[in-house]
Amino acid sequence: MNVVDKLAAYEDQISPGISACVGCNVELTLRTCMKVLGPDTIFAIPPGCMGGVGVVGWDKQSGARTPVFFPLLDNVASMLAGIKMHYEHIGRKVNVVAFAGDGASVDAGMQCLSGAAERGDKLIYICYDNEGYMNTGYQRSGSTTKGAWTSTTPVIDGQGGKKQNKKDFPMIMAMHDLPYMATMSPAYIPDMVRKLERAMVEAERGLVYLHVYNPCLTGWGCKSDESIEVSRLSVETNFAPLYEVEDGKFKMSVDIKNPKPVREFITRFKKFRHLTDEDIADLQAFTDRKMKRLHELCKM
Amino acid sequence: MKFVSDYIVPIGPEGLKIVETGKWRTRKPVMDVEKCVRCGMCLLYCPVNSVKKNEDGSFEICYDYCKGCGICAHECKKKAISMAAVKEDE
Repeated sequence: MNVVDKLAAYEDQISPGISACVGCNVELTLRTCMKVLGPDTIFAIPPGCMGGVGVVGWDKQSGARTPVFFPLLDNVASMLAGIKMHYEHIGRKVNVVAFAGDGASVDAGMQCLSGAAERGDKLIYICYDNEGYMNTGYQRSGSTTKGAWTSTTPVIDGQGGKKQNKKDFPMIMAMHDLPYMATMSPAYIPDMVRKLERAMVEAERGLVYLHVYNPCLTGWGCKSDESIEVSRLSVETNFAPLYEVEDGKFKMSVDIKNPKPVREFITRFKKFRHLTDEDIADLQAFTDRKMKRLHELCKM
Repeated sequence: MKFVSDYIVPIGPEGLKIVETGKWRTRKPVMDVEKCVRCGMCLLYCPVNSVKKNEDGSFEICYDYCKGCGICAHECKKKAISMAAVKEDE
Protein backbone atom coordinates (compact mmCIF):
# COMPACT_ATOMS: atom_id res chain seq x y z
CA MET A 1 0.00 0.00 0.00
CA ASN A 2 1.46 3.35 -0.93
CA VAL A 3 1.58 6.33 1.41
CA VAL A 4 -1.34 8.21 -0.17
CA ASP A 5 -3.68 5.22 0.26
CA LYS A 6 -2.43 4.69 3.80
CA LEU A 7 -3.01 8.27 4.85
CA ALA A 8 -6.39 8.35 3.09
CA ALA A 9 -7.46 5.24 5.01
CA TYR A 10 -6.23 6.25 8.47
CA GLU A 11 -8.62 8.09 10.74
CA ASP A 12 -7.71 11.65 11.69
CA GLN A 13 -7.19 11.72 15.46
CA ILE A 14 -7.27 15.50 15.81
CA SER A 15 -10.34 17.74 15.84
CA PRO A 16 -11.16 18.72 12.22
CA GLY A 17 -11.06 22.42 13.01
CA ILE A 18 -8.16 23.72 15.09
CA SER A 19 -7.12 27.34 15.05
CA ALA A 20 -3.56 26.96 13.72
CA CYS A 21 -2.37 29.66 11.32
CA VAL A 22 -3.43 29.32 7.68
CA GLY A 23 -1.00 26.93 5.96
CA CYS A 24 0.78 25.89 9.18
CA ASN A 25 3.01 22.91 8.45
CA VAL A 26 3.12 21.94 12.13
CA GLU A 27 -0.59 21.18 11.86
CA LEU A 28 0.22 18.93 8.90
CA THR A 29 2.98 17.25 10.93
CA LEU A 30 0.69 16.71 13.92
CA ARG A 31 -2.14 15.24 11.85
CA THR A 32 0.21 12.94 9.92
CA CYS A 33 1.95 11.75 13.09
CA MET A 34 -1.30 11.05 14.90
CA LYS A 35 -2.82 9.29 11.87
CA VAL A 36 0.13 6.89 11.76
CA LEU A 37 0.37 6.38 15.53
CA GLY A 38 -3.31 5.51 15.63
CA PRO A 39 -6.04 5.54 18.27
CA ASP A 40 -4.06 3.62 20.92
CA THR A 41 -2.03 6.67 21.74
CA ILE A 42 -1.79 8.95 24.75
CA PHE A 43 -0.11 12.20 23.99
CA ALA A 44 1.08 15.28 25.74
CA ILE A 45 1.38 18.73 24.24
CA PRO A 46 3.25 21.22 26.43
CA PRO A 47 2.62 24.97 26.10
CA GLY A 48 3.47 25.98 22.57
CA CYS A 49 1.79 26.44 19.21
CA MET A 50 -0.10 23.16 19.13
CA GLY A 51 -1.26 23.59 22.74
CA GLY A 52 -2.37 27.12 22.01
CA VAL A 53 -4.45 26.25 18.94
CA GLY A 54 -6.75 24.06 21.01
CA VAL A 55 -5.54 20.49 20.51
CA VAL A 56 -5.31 20.10 24.29
CA GLY A 57 -8.89 21.29 24.59
CA TRP A 58 -10.61 24.37 25.88
CA ASP A 59 -13.61 25.03 28.07
CA LYS A 60 -14.28 21.41 29.10
CA GLN A 61 -13.94 20.18 25.54
CA SER A 62 -11.13 18.12 24.01
CA GLY A 63 -9.20 18.86 20.84
CA ALA A 64 -8.32 15.28 19.91
CA ARG A 65 -9.97 11.89 19.68
CA THR A 66 -7.18 10.26 21.64
CA PRO A 67 -6.45 11.13 25.29
CA VAL A 68 -4.40 14.31 25.37
CA PHE A 69 -3.10 16.44 28.21
CA PHE A 70 -1.26 19.65 28.86
CA PRO A 71 1.90 19.25 30.99
CA LEU A 72 4.18 22.09 31.99
CA LEU A 73 6.92 23.35 29.71
CA ASP A 74 9.63 21.53 31.65
CA ASN A 75 8.18 18.20 32.80
CA VAL A 76 6.83 16.61 29.59
CA ALA A 77 9.11 13.57 29.44
CA SER A 78 8.99 12.82 33.19
CA MET A 79 5.20 12.99 33.29
CA LEU A 80 4.87 10.67 30.28
CA ALA A 81 7.41 8.28 31.82
CA GLY A 82 5.04 7.81 34.77
CA ILE A 83 2.06 7.24 32.47
CA LYS A 84 3.97 4.66 30.42
CA MET A 85 5.00 2.88 33.62
CA HIS A 86 1.37 2.58 34.68
CA TYR A 87 0.32 1.08 31.36
CA GLU A 88 3.22 -1.36 31.45
CA HIS A 89 2.10 -2.34 34.96
CA ILE A 90 -1.48 -3.10 33.88
CA GLY A 91 -0.15 -4.76 30.72
CA ARG A 92 -1.73 -2.65 28.01
CA LYS A 93 0.21 -1.68 24.92
CA VAL A 94 -0.13 2.02 24.12
CA ASN A 95 2.03 4.58 22.35
CA VAL A 96 2.97 7.30 24.80
CA VAL A 97 3.88 10.30 22.75
CA ALA A 98 5.08 13.85 23.37
CA PHE A 99 4.49 16.47 20.70
CA ALA A 100 6.55 19.36 21.95
CA GLY A 101 7.90 22.53 20.45
CA ASP A 102 11.54 23.50 20.46
CA GLY A 103 11.07 25.65 23.56
CA ALA A 104 9.82 22.68 25.54
CA SER A 105 12.50 20.32 24.19
CA VAL A 106 15.62 22.32 23.41
CA ASP A 107 15.39 24.93 26.18
CA ALA A 108 13.10 24.39 29.14
CA GLY A 109 12.36 20.67 28.98
CA MET A 110 15.86 19.51 28.09
CA GLN A 111 16.89 18.11 31.47
CA CYS A 112 13.80 15.93 31.90
CA LEU A 113 14.05 14.73 28.29
CA SER A 114 17.72 13.89 28.75
CA GLY A 115 16.85 12.06 31.97
CA ALA A 116 14.11 10.03 30.30
CA ALA A 117 16.47 9.18 27.43
CA GLU A 118 19.12 7.98 29.84
CA ARG A 119 16.63 5.90 31.88
CA GLY A 120 15.30 4.36 28.68
CA ASP A 121 11.64 5.27 29.26
CA LYS A 122 9.65 3.85 26.38
CA LEU A 123 8.32 7.07 24.90
CA ILE A 124 8.12 8.57 21.44
CA TYR A 125 9.22 12.18 21.72
CA ILE A 126 8.44 14.34 18.70
CA CYS A 127 9.90 17.84 18.66
CA TYR A 128 8.62 20.35 16.10
CA ASP A 129 11.37 22.88 15.70
CA ASN A 130 10.07 26.25 14.51
CA GLU A 131 13.03 28.10 15.96
CA GLY A 132 11.41 30.05 18.75
CA TYR A 133 8.48 30.60 21.07
CA MET A 134 6.16 31.31 18.18
CA ASN A 135 2.75 31.28 19.88
CA THR A 136 3.69 33.88 22.49
CA GLY A 137 5.09 36.39 20.02
CA TYR A 138 8.19 35.02 18.26
CA GLN A 139 10.75 35.16 21.09
CA ARG A 140 14.18 33.63 20.55
CA SER A 141 14.99 30.10 21.71
CA GLY A 142 18.13 28.01 21.84
CA SER A 143 17.15 26.65 18.47
CA THR A 144 16.98 29.98 16.60
CA THR A 145 19.44 30.38 13.73
CA LYS A 146 22.24 32.92 14.13
CA GLY A 147 21.38 36.33 12.75
CA ALA A 148 17.61 35.83 12.82
CA TRP A 149 15.21 38.56 13.81
CA THR A 150 12.97 37.66 16.76
CA SER A 151 10.97 39.91 19.08
CA THR A 152 13.66 39.58 21.76
CA THR A 153 16.56 40.02 19.31
CA PRO A 154 15.25 43.00 17.31
CA VAL A 155 16.92 44.54 14.29
CA ILE A 156 17.44 48.30 14.35
CA ASP A 157 18.95 50.04 11.29
CA GLY A 158 20.13 46.70 9.90
CA GLN A 159 21.96 45.88 13.15
CA GLY A 160 20.91 43.16 15.58
CA GLY A 161 19.44 39.71 15.32
CA LYS A 162 20.50 36.67 17.32
CA LYS A 163 24.21 36.57 18.10
CA GLN A 164 24.61 32.89 18.96
CA ASN A 165 24.59 29.74 16.86
CA LYS A 166 21.70 27.29 16.77
CA LYS A 167 21.88 24.35 19.15
CA ASP A 168 22.21 21.12 17.16
CA PHE A 169 19.64 19.27 19.21
CA PRO A 170 19.12 16.10 17.11
CA MET A 171 22.85 15.47 17.43
CA ILE A 172 22.69 15.98 21.22
CA MET A 173 19.89 13.41 21.40
CA ALA A 174 21.76 11.03 19.07
CA MET A 175 24.68 11.09 21.49
CA HIS A 176 22.38 9.64 24.18
CA ASP A 177 22.70 6.37 22.23
CA LEU A 178 18.98 5.98 21.81
CA PRO A 179 17.48 2.94 20.09
CA TYR A 180 16.23 5.26 17.34
CA MET A 181 16.61 8.95 16.53
CA ALA A 182 15.56 10.60 13.29
CA THR A 183 15.02 14.02 11.77
CA MET A 184 11.96 14.59 9.61
CA SER A 185 10.51 17.28 7.38
CA PRO A 186 6.87 18.08 6.46
CA ALA A 187 7.95 18.19 2.79
CA TYR A 188 8.96 14.51 2.88
CA ILE A 189 5.78 12.82 4.08
CA PRO A 190 6.57 9.24 2.88
CA ASP A 191 9.88 9.45 4.75
CA MET A 192 8.05 10.75 7.82
CA VAL A 193 5.51 7.91 7.73
CA ARG A 194 8.28 5.31 7.43
CA LYS A 195 10.17 6.80 10.39
CA LEU A 196 7.04 6.91 12.55
CA GLU A 197 6.32 3.25 11.83
CA ARG A 198 9.91 2.43 12.74
CA ALA A 199 9.60 4.55 15.91
CA MET A 200 6.57 2.55 17.09
CA VAL A 201 8.62 -0.64 16.89
CA GLU A 202 11.80 0.79 18.40
CA ALA A 203 9.94 2.42 21.31
CA GLU A 204 9.72 -1.08 22.83
CA ARG A 205 13.40 -0.71 23.72
CA GLY A 206 13.66 2.84 24.98
CA LEU A 207 13.08 6.48 24.16
CA VAL A 208 12.71 7.36 20.51
CA TYR A 209 13.40 10.95 19.53
CA LEU A 210 12.08 12.49 16.32
CA HIS A 211 12.99 16.02 15.30
CA VAL A 212 10.88 17.87 12.71
CA TYR A 213 12.14 21.10 11.17
CA ASN A 214 9.08 23.30 10.57
CA PRO A 215 9.52 26.79 9.08
CA CYS A 216 6.94 29.05 10.76
CA LEU A 217 5.04 31.21 8.29
CA THR A 218 3.80 33.90 10.64
CA GLY A 219 6.93 34.22 12.75
CA TRP A 220 9.47 33.99 9.97
CA GLY A 221 7.56 36.00 7.37
CA CYS A 222 6.59 33.85 4.41
CA LYS A 223 3.50 33.23 2.28
CA SER A 224 1.12 30.41 3.26
CA ASP A 225 1.18 28.57 -0.08
CA GLU A 226 5.00 28.32 0.04
CA SER A 227 4.85 26.45 3.35
CA ILE A 228 5.90 23.09 1.91
CA GLU A 229 8.26 24.55 -0.69
CA VAL A 230 10.41 26.27 1.96
CA SER A 231 10.41 23.13 4.09
CA ARG A 232 11.71 21.24 1.08
CA LEU A 233 14.37 23.91 0.53
CA SER A 234 15.58 23.48 4.12
CA VAL A 235 16.45 19.88 3.24
CA GLU A 236 17.75 20.57 -0.28
CA THR A 237 20.19 23.19 1.04
CA ASN A 238 21.36 20.81 3.80
CA PHE A 239 20.22 23.39 6.35
CA ALA A 240 18.16 20.72 8.12
CA PRO A 241 19.42 17.39 6.75
CA LEU A 242 17.30 14.26 7.05
CA TYR A 243 19.13 11.44 8.79
CA GLU A 244 18.47 8.64 11.24
CA VAL A 245 20.53 7.01 13.96
CA GLU A 246 19.87 3.46 15.03
CA ASP A 247 21.92 2.21 18.00
CA GLY A 248 24.72 4.65 17.19
CA LYS A 249 24.77 3.90 13.46
CA PHE A 250 24.26 7.07 11.42
CA LYS A 251 22.52 6.93 8.06
CA MET A 252 21.35 9.62 5.65
CA SER A 253 17.65 9.17 4.81
CA VAL A 254 17.62 11.72 1.99
CA ASP A 255 21.09 12.23 0.59
CA ILE A 256 21.24 15.48 -1.39
CA LYS A 257 23.96 15.01 -4.01
CA ASN A 258 24.20 18.63 -5.20
CA PRO A 259 22.96 20.83 -2.35
CA LYS A 260 21.59 24.26 -3.24
CA PRO A 261 23.27 27.28 -1.64
CA VAL A 262 21.88 28.19 1.80
CA ARG A 263 21.14 31.67 0.40
CA GLU A 264 18.16 30.24 -1.52
CA PHE A 265 16.55 29.15 1.74
CA ILE A 266 17.57 32.16 3.85
CA THR A 267 16.31 34.80 1.42
CA ARG A 268 12.78 33.38 1.47
CA PHE A 269 12.07 34.78 4.94
CA LYS A 270 11.56 38.26 6.32
CA LYS A 271 13.39 37.40 9.53
CA PHE A 272 16.67 37.07 7.59
CA ARG A 273 16.09 40.12 5.36
CA HIS A 274 18.73 42.28 7.10
CA LEU A 275 21.55 39.72 6.70
CA THR A 276 24.58 40.87 4.69
CA ASP A 277 26.45 38.69 2.18
CA GLU A 278 29.06 38.09 4.88
CA ASP A 279 26.45 36.81 7.36
CA ILE A 280 25.05 34.44 4.74
CA ALA A 281 28.57 33.21 3.91
CA ASP A 282 29.03 32.51 7.64
CA LEU A 283 25.81 30.50 7.73
CA GLN A 284 26.91 28.59 4.62
CA ALA A 285 30.25 27.75 6.26
CA PHE A 286 28.45 26.69 9.46
CA THR A 287 26.09 24.44 7.47
CA ASP A 288 28.97 22.92 5.46
CA ARG A 289 30.95 22.21 8.62
CA LYS A 290 28.02 20.44 10.28
CA MET A 291 27.26 18.52 7.10
CA LYS A 292 30.90 17.37 6.83
CA ARG A 293 30.75 16.08 10.40
CA LEU A 294 27.50 14.26 9.66
CA HIS A 295 28.96 12.60 6.55
CA GLU A 296 31.99 11.51 8.59
CA LEU A 297 29.68 9.99 11.21
CA CYS A 298 27.75 8.14 8.48
CA LYS A 299 30.99 6.57 7.24
CA MET A 300 31.87 5.16 10.67
CA MET B 1 -24.99 24.80 25.93
CA LYS B 2 -22.01 23.14 27.49
CA PHE B 3 -20.76 19.62 27.10
CA VAL B 4 -20.70 17.74 30.40
CA SER B 5 -18.45 14.72 30.83
CA ASP B 6 -18.50 11.91 33.39
CA TYR B 7 -14.87 12.74 34.03
CA ILE B 8 -13.19 16.01 35.01
CA VAL B 9 -12.25 16.49 31.37
CA PRO B 10 -13.52 14.74 28.24
CA ILE B 11 -11.46 11.71 27.22
CA GLY B 12 -11.26 10.33 23.70
CA PRO B 13 -13.82 11.19 21.04
CA GLU B 14 -16.40 12.68 23.41
CA GLY B 15 -16.88 16.47 23.49
CA LEU B 16 -14.66 17.44 20.61
CA LYS B 17 -13.92 21.14 20.27
CA ILE B 18 -14.28 22.14 16.63
CA VAL B 19 -13.41 25.58 15.32
CA GLU B 20 -15.27 26.58 12.16
CA THR B 21 -12.11 27.23 10.19
CA GLY B 22 -13.99 27.14 6.88
CA LYS B 23 -15.11 30.72 7.62
CA TRP B 24 -11.50 31.95 7.57
CA ARG B 25 -11.16 31.32 3.86
CA THR B 26 -10.41 34.26 1.57
CA ARG B 27 -9.47 32.05 -1.40
CA LYS B 28 -10.97 28.76 -2.40
CA PRO B 29 -9.19 25.85 -4.11
CA VAL B 30 -11.00 24.53 -7.17
CA MET B 31 -9.93 21.24 -8.72
CA ASP B 32 -9.96 20.66 -12.46
CA VAL B 33 -10.77 16.95 -12.70
CA GLU B 34 -9.67 16.82 -16.36
CA LYS B 35 -6.08 17.79 -15.49
CA CYS B 36 -5.82 15.64 -12.33
CA VAL B 37 -3.52 12.62 -12.68
CA ARG B 38 -4.44 11.26 -9.22
CA CYS B 39 -0.94 11.45 -7.72
CA GLY B 40 -2.35 12.42 -4.30
CA MET B 41 0.11 15.23 -3.51
CA CYS B 42 -2.80 17.45 -2.41
CA LEU B 43 -3.88 14.81 0.11
CA LEU B 44 -0.34 14.38 1.45
CA TYR B 45 0.28 18.08 2.01
CA CYS B 46 -3.14 19.44 3.04
CA PRO B 47 -2.58 20.63 6.64
CA VAL B 48 -6.29 20.53 7.49
CA ASN B 49 -6.93 17.04 6.09
CA SER B 50 -9.52 18.49 3.71
CA VAL B 51 -8.72 16.36 0.66
CA LYS B 52 -10.65 13.12 0.45
CA LYS B 53 -9.91 10.09 -1.70
CA ASN B 54 -13.00 8.58 -3.28
CA GLU B 55 -13.48 4.87 -3.86
CA ASP B 56 -12.94 5.23 -7.61
CA GLY B 57 -9.48 6.70 -6.93
CA SER B 58 -10.34 10.32 -7.62
CA PHE B 59 -9.63 13.14 -5.18
CA GLU B 60 -12.09 15.67 -3.86
CA ILE B 61 -11.68 18.86 -1.82
CA CYS B 62 -13.99 19.25 1.18
CA TYR B 63 -14.74 22.85 2.06
CA ASP B 64 -16.02 22.47 5.64
CA TYR B 65 -12.70 23.22 7.33
CA CYS B 66 -10.47 24.31 4.42
CA LYS B 67 -8.62 27.48 5.45
CA GLY B 68 -7.66 28.40 1.89
CA CYS B 69 -3.90 28.33 2.42
CA GLY B 70 -3.14 27.43 -1.21
CA ILE B 71 -0.63 24.65 -0.49
CA CYS B 72 -2.54 22.16 -2.69
CA ALA B 73 -2.54 24.57 -5.65
CA HIS B 74 1.16 25.32 -5.15
CA GLU B 75 2.24 21.69 -4.80
CA CYS B 76 0.11 20.28 -7.65
CA LYS B 77 2.56 19.27 -10.40
CA LYS B 78 -0.13 19.39 -13.12
CA LYS B 79 -1.60 22.76 -11.99
CA ALA B 80 -4.97 21.06 -11.66
CA ILE B 81 -5.94 23.16 -8.64
CA SER B 82 -6.48 26.91 -8.88
CA MET B 83 -7.31 29.40 -6.15
CA ALA B 84 -10.55 31.29 -6.80
CA ALA B 85 -11.76 34.35 -4.90
CA VAL B 86 -14.46 33.76 -2.28
CA LYS B 87 -17.64 35.80 -2.81
CA GLU B 88 -19.03 37.57 0.22
CA ASP B 89 -22.28 35.63 0.39
CA GLU B 90 -20.49 32.25 0.42
